[in-house]
Amino acid sequence: MIPLDVLGNAIVMTVVITVSSFLIGAILGVPLVLLRTSRFGVVRVLTRALIDVLRGVPPVVWIFILYFGVSSDVIKLDPLTAAIGGLGVISCAYLAEIYRGGLLSVHAGQTEAAQALGFGQVGIFTRIVAPQAFRVCLPSAATYGIGLLKDSSLASTIGVAEIAFRATAQARSGGDGITPFVIAGVLYIALSMPLAYLSRTLDTKLRMKVSV
Amino acid sequence: MNGLIEQWIDWLPSLVDGLGVSVQLAVVSLLIGLPLGLAEALLVASPNRIVRWITLAVVEFGRGTPTLVLLYLIYYGLPSQGLVLPAFGSAVVALSFMTGAYTSEIIRASLQAVPRGLVEAAAALGINRWGTFRFILFPEGIRIAIPALMGFAIQLFQTTSLVFLITLPELLSRAYSIGSTTFQYTSVLALAGVLYLLVTLPSGWLAALLEKRMGRHLA
Amino acid sequence: MISVANLKKSYGDHTVLDGVSIEIQRGEVVAMIGPSGAGKSTLLRCLNLLERPDSGRITIGDTVVDLPAKIPVRTLETLRKTAGMVFQSFNLFPHLSVLRNVSLAQEYVLGRDAKAAHQRSMELLERVGLADKAGSYPARLSGGQQQRIAIARALAMEPEVMLFDEPTSALDPELGLDVLAVMRELAASGMTMVVVTHEIHFAQDVSDRVVMMADGGIIEQGDPAQVLSSPANPRTQRFLKAVIDR
Ligand SMILES: Nc1ncnc2c1ncn2[C@@H]1O[C@H](COP(=O)(O)OP(=O)(O)OP(=O)(O)O)[C@@H](O)[C@H]1O
Ligand SMILES: [Mg+2]
Repeated sequence: MIPLDVLGNAIVMTVVITVSSFLIGAILGVPLVLLRTSRFGVVRVLTRALIDVLRGVPPVVWIFILYFGVSSDVIKLDPLTAAIGGLGVISCAYLAEIYRGGLLSVHAGQTEAAQALGFGQVGIFTRIVAPQAFRVCLPSAATYGIGLLKDSSLASTIGVAEIAFRATAQARSGGDGITPFVIAGVLYIALSMPLAYLSRTLDTKLRMKVSV
Repeated sequence: MNGLIEQWIDWLPSLVDGLGVSVQLAVVSLLIGLPLGLAEALLVASPNRIVRWITLAVVEFGRGTPTLVLLYLIYYGLPSQGLVLPAFGSAVVALSFMTGAYTSEIIRASLQAVPRGLVEAAAALGINRWGTFRFILFPEGIRIAIPALMGFAIQLFQTTSLVFLITLPELLSRAYSIGSTTFQYTSVLALAGVLYLLVTLPSGWLAALLEKRMGRHLA
Repeated sequence: MISVANLKKSYGDHTVLDGVSIEIQRGEVVAMIGPSGAGKSTLLRCLNLLERPDSGRITIGDTVVDLPAKIPVRTLETLRKTAGMVFQSFNLFPHLSVLRNVSLAQEYVLGRDAKAAHQRSMELLERVGLADKAGSYPARLSGGQQQRIAIARALAMEPEVMLFDEPTSALDPELGLDVLAVMRELAASGMTMVVVTHEIHFAQDVSDRVVMMADGGIIEQGDPAQVLSSPANPRTQRFLKAVIDR
């Protein structure tokens, strides 16, 4: 059996990768969605192309490009950084689209009402539109977070010692090819439960609030 | 720049072959996984509690576990039980299992989204449960499910990139092996990325188009 | 033709049908009126067992259903074949052409061959004035046209009774006229009909009897002229005043 502290470290590593790349995406997604909904057609088109490219290439390819490509050509990256960077870059594309969905869901009448009340552009966005959009986004963002948790296992392919990596090592050395992976699977499901719970309760709460 | 283009032209045949393997893998997994998903969607609604719970557990495990772990589980796990599958077979088993789990949720939600009135109308005409499923629920449900299923298919195609781990010569594993001999990782991985995009971008547009079309139909 | 005895139905502790009894003769047209929540739809839906009553007895034609005993599948199928139903929201199958909407159950339930089903469907579409729409899909048609096709679809099962649940409520008044015309013609042809409706004119002109429901029971019934112009029950008076004032 794997010593508990090793297992603990692996779980921590999985959480670190997931949370860090999610945060990168959540933050960089904001400027990205602003560009995506820009007044200038060219900016919109270019941003959309960028988002499509980021989402259209498998995550593991991005991680490889960072770890094997960028790392040897430009700047040395350790496996953890490369994994977080790769997943973070993809996350910002997905989260930008989730934000956009939220923004679109805010009725145009809200903006007009705010204008009529004399709010300025910035005020309308920060006080009226963004808070409403944010609440609409939460469930899909949580769902995306669960997906990211599973994608964090890709870090094992470049040697980050997270859950999947430990399970593989254990299977190779122990000769039992089933138990380590079943345990790993259960661990991932257990880790996703709080997020799933959050997403579900938020979703029902929002539904009750929105549907008058 | 010229050097880059020459390199790419050199590598292209091997990578395109790899792309073919990736597409094949995705298609075979869908062909097996979609009927599996439908079966799971129906079994989850079974009146038998034990059937329901087992199916639910299978679906939740398939959806909640990273595909990479599923792949290893099949590839390393089955041989230790005396069942040795070739790499392609292992990949198909893992990806079909994952497809079944994901699509069962899509199909279940879509079947539930079929307006109750249609089912009642069928009942009022004396059409029995099987007929209602066959003529009304299934065709209507699939129509509702198609955009989400297409989205999933694109995701699945991307996921085939994982099977390089079990040394199946698909697109990524070919790019990686070219990279490891030439050390031109950035260049060859970028080319692989372009090839992935060649499939995912048009499929994504098609899915968006279909979704818009259907929205109009139902309105 | 239809006999309902002491029919009861509740959802949780909310009683919706509180022991309803009614007899309807062959060829009779009954208009059912009453305020929202009275239980009109529930009664109609219980008649062909879309809703399962808690207790009581339903007889339609030769088919008898005694509750709360288990209903054999055979009985269920015969009952639904005997009683055709038209819904407020049409409920046409959107993925099937108009012709297919009408012919599907003929083939699947009645076992007619495709040719006979096609022929019968065209006759019925002719009858509701929409033979030229046979190849169209429901989404392309107006609500009134959809409802007439829904009537043709129900008639295709050769029912002995037709149940209508507010067939014109979802329609613009003008579009409703075509539907009402089809229903008048059907009534004149001798079909036994139960029609839940807010169309007082239709009730007055076409029905043989008006039944007023309130709070899960029948509170008044009789000759249309009498019930509609000089109702005995104050509840009926209030209801009719509200309908006419609107
Ligand atoms: N599936 C159900 N679950 C719980 N309550 C129900 C259900 N269906 C109907 N009811 C309740 O039963 C009562 C009678 O409903 P019903 O639809 O029969 O009324 P109605 O007379 O047809 O009214 P309307 O004119 O609005 O159609 C209502 O209070 C309704 O809320
Ligand atoms: Mg009603």
